[in-house]
Amino acid sequence: MSRLPEMLLAVIRAGRGRAFPLLLLLLAAGLLMQPDMQPLLGIREAQFDHYQRLLPRQRDSEPVVIVGIDSQSLVQLGQWPWSRDLIADLVDKIHTGQPLVLGIDVVFAERDRYSPEVLAKHIPDMAAGTLAVLPEPDRKLARALEGTPTVLAIAGLSQALPGGRQPAKPLPVFDHDRRRDAFLPHFVSALVSRPIIEAAAAGEGLINATPELEKTDNQRGVLRRVPALAFVDEQPFLSLPLEMVRVALGDGGNVRTENGPQGVQAIHIGDYRLPVLRSGELLLHFGRSSAHYYLSAADVLAGAYDPELFRSRFVIIGFNSTGLQDRIVTPLGESLPGVDIHAQVIESLLASQALQRPYWIQWAEMATLLCIGLALIAFVPRLRARYAVLSFALASIAILTGGYLSFFAARYLFDGASLLFLLCPPFISLLGNTLITADTLRRAAEAQLQNSREEAARMNGELDAARRIQMGLLPDTATLFPDERRFSVAALLEPARAVGGDYYDCFMLDDRRVCVAIGDVSGKGVPASLFMAVSKTLTGTLTRRHSALGSAFRDIEAELNRENPEYLFVTAFIGVLDIDTGHLEYVCAGHDAPLIVRNGEVLAIDIRAIAGPPLCAAGSYPFESAGMQLQAGDLLCLFTDGVTEAMNGNEMFGNDRLRATIATFRSLAVQDCASALRDAVRHFEAGHPPADDLTLLLLRWHGATGSSN
Amino acid sequence: MNLPTREQAGVLIVSVSGRIDHTASEEFTLALEPLLARCAKGQPALLLDFSAVDYISSAGLRVLMMASRRAKAQQGIFAIAALQPLVQEVFAISRFNLIVPCYASVDAACKVIGA
Repeated sequence: MSRLPEMLLAVIRAGRGRAFPLLLLLLAAGLLMQPDMQPLLGIREAQFDHYQRLLPRQRDSEPVVIVGIDSQSLVQLGQWPWSRDLIADLVDKIHTGQPLVLGIDVVFAERDRYSPEVLAKHIPDMAAGTLAVLPEPDRKLARALEGTPTVLAIAGLSQALPGGRQPAKPLPVFDHDRRRDAFLPHFVSALVSRPIIEAAAAGEGLINATPELEKTDNQRGVLRRVPALAFVDEQPFLSLPLEMVRVALGDGGNVRTENGPQGVQAIHIGDYRLPVLRSGELLLHFGRSSAHYYLSAADVLAGAYDPELFRSRFVIIGFNSTGLQDRIVTPLGESLPGVDIHAQVIESLLASQALQRPYWIQWAEMATLLCIGLALIAFVPRLRARYAVLSFALASIAILTGGYLSFFAARYLFDGASLLFLLCPPFISLLGNTLITADTLRRAAEAQLQNSREEAARMNGELDAARRIQMGLLPDTATLFPDERRFSVAALLEPARAVGGDYYDCFMLDDRRVCVAIGDVSGKGVPASLFMAVSKTLTGTLTRRHSALGSAFRDIEAELNRENPEYLFVTAFIGVLDIDTGHLEYVCAGHDAPLIVRNGEVLAIDIRAIAGPPLCAAGSYPFESAGMQLQAGDLLCLFTDGVTEAMNGNEMFGNDRLRATIATFRSLAVQDCASALRDAVRHFEAGHPPADDLTLLLLRWHGATGSSN
Repeated sequence: MNLPTREQAGVLIVSVSGRIDHTASEEFTLALEPLLARCAKGQPALLLDFSAVDYISSAGLRVLMMASRRAKAQQGIFAIAALQPLVQEVFAISRFNLIVPCYASVDAACKVIGA
C-alpha cells in the first residue's frame, strides 16, 4: 500500500472513526451559515421550487382584471408608445365599470409626442391659432385619472440617472425604525410619471422586480422574490399591487410592519397580513398561469366588453406582448408577462398567503443538521453496515418528509435537501470506517479460525498418536493364541473419545493357566488414559509375579496409590482359568460381575463374598480371590459400564438387555459374539454419542480336550 | 448445579438431583466445595440426600470418594442417604458403601450421625 491511501485510512479511522466525520459535520454547519453560496443555493432553490410545483397556489377567485397592451392592440392601434389621449380613452372606458382601483404598469416620464410644444418644434411654421386649439394629451390623461382611484408605476433607481426624481406620493403614514429599515432596499431616485399626471393619481407603487440574475447562473432569472416595501430617498413606497390594495381600502388601509428580532417579518395593510423577508421582499407562492383575466386593450377600446366586468375589481393596464420584452420565468417553469406578478401579489395579499421563511427556520435547519449529524456519529460506529445505511435512509426520509410536510401545512420553506447534501460526507466517512472495521474484523476472524483449525489438527495429530499407542498396549486377541483349541478369546475396546480409560488384557501365566483382565478408570479422555496405561501394565506385571490373585490385587493397589495426586481410581476384574480343569479363580475391585452363558442361560459370577471397592478408592482393602467351576462350552463375558450404561436419550442399555443379547450367542464364534454385542449397543444408542468407553472381553472354554472348530 | 440445603437434628442435609455423569461431575465438585469446607470436627455432619439422583457414573463416584477423603482428613462426618435402586446397584457393584457410609433414608441417617 502506498502512503496516500494509508494516510487517508488513518484519517478516516481516527478517534474510532468519529473525529473526521465530526470535522466534516462542523464544516457542513459552517456552510449552512452561508446560505447564498453555491452549491447550497442551487439545491435549496430547486427544493423550494419543487414544493411549489407539487402544490401551486390555488387561484379560486379572480379579483384582478388585466387590460393587456398585446400584439393585437399594437396591430390595430399602432406602435408603442401610444399617444396619451388613447390611454385616456382606455382609462375612461374602464372607469365606466367602476373598478375598485386602477393600476397602470407604465411610467409616463416624458412629455407626450403629440403635446403642442413637441409638435411646434417638429412643425415650426404651424399657425399660432392651430397650436392653441391642439389637445394636450397629458392633461387629458390626468383628467381621466381623476375619475377613479388610480395607482401609477414608479421604477426605483439605485443611482441617479437623468430624468430621475423623487416621486410625490409616498405612504402617508409610516413610522421609521432604523434597525428594520437597514435591511430594506433604498433607492436614491426613481423614474416617475410627469407631475401633471402624478398629481391626478391616488398613489404610486414600485414595479422593480428582483430576478435572481446576479446570484445564480443555473437558475437563470427565475423570479422567486418580489419587493413589497422600499425607500426612495427615505420616503417609503409599497410595490404597485400592494399600493393598489392600500388605495382600495381608503382610510382603512393603514400600513404598518410586523418586526421580529431580525427585522421586518410581515406587512399589514388594513386587516391583511403578508409575510415578507427582512429585505422587504415577498416570497411569492405562484399559482398556475391563466388567461381568463386578460383582456386586449384594443377590444376594451372598441367596447367589446360589458363595463360591468370591471366593477369592484382591481384592474391593471400593462404589457402583454412578446415584442415588448417584459416576461419573467416562475418557479413553476412558466413564462409569464411581468404584469401577471402584480395580479398574483394582489391575490396573495387578499388570501394573506405567502411562502414563509422566517429567521428561525435557518436555526431549525442548523439544529436538525447538528442533531442528526451527532446522532449518526454516535450510533453508526456501533451499528453493522446494513443497519447504518438503513438508519441514514430513515433519517433522510424523515428530513425530506419534514420539509414537505411543513410546506404543505403552513407554506414554511424548510430546506431538507441541503441538509441531506451536507450530511452525506460525514455519513460516508462513518460508513467507510464501519466497512473498514468490519473487513478488519472479518480478516482477524478468518486468521483466528485458520489458527484454531491448525491447532485442532495438531491436537488431533497428537491425540491420534496417543490413541495408536494406547491401542498398541492392548493385545490383539485374533492373533494371540493361533493354535489354541481348548479356549478361544475375543476382545474389543472403543473409546468414547480419542483416548479412553478402559483396558483389557489376556495372557498365559503358564502353559495351562490363561489370565483375563478388564478395567475401567474413573473418568475418560487423556487423564484416564494415562492412568489406564499404568494400571494395565501393573496388572500384567504383578499378576505374573504373584502366585495368589488376592495378594497380586493388593500389591497393584499399593503401587497405584503410591503416586495418584488426582485421586483417580479403577474398577477391575481379573480371572485365571485352568484350561485343563475349567477352574476359574477371580478377584473383583468394584467392577460389574462378569456373566457366563451356559446352554443359552445367563449366570452372573458370584462376587458377593469377595468384591472390594475400586482400586485406589478406599486405601488398602484386603482383597481375596474366589473360585468356580466352568463347564465345557461356557462363554465368559467381561464388560465395562460402557455397555450397560449406554444411553439412547431416555434410558440405559442395562443389564437385562445385555443378558438378553448374549443369551442368543450359543455356538457363535467369540469374535462374532463381540461384534454382535457391540452392534446391539450401538443400534440401541440410535446415533446418540457414546458417553463412556465400551470394552468387551469374551472367552469360551471348549473343555480340556479342546474343540474341533 | 444447585444444591439446596436444610438442617435437621444437627445434620446439614444437601439435596442432590439429576444425573451425575461425566459432565455434571465437575459442577457437582464445585457446588460441593463450600459445603465440604465446613465439614470438619465440631461442625454439623454433612449428609447428601440422593433421593432425586437417577444415575451416577464413575466420575460421580470419584467426586464422592474425594469428598469422603477430605471429610475424613478434616475429621468431619460425611454420608449419603436414600439411594434409588439403580444408584444403589452402582454402589453395590463398586462397593462404594465401603468408602462412603450409606443410609436407607435421611431419618435413619440423622438418628445415627445426628448430634
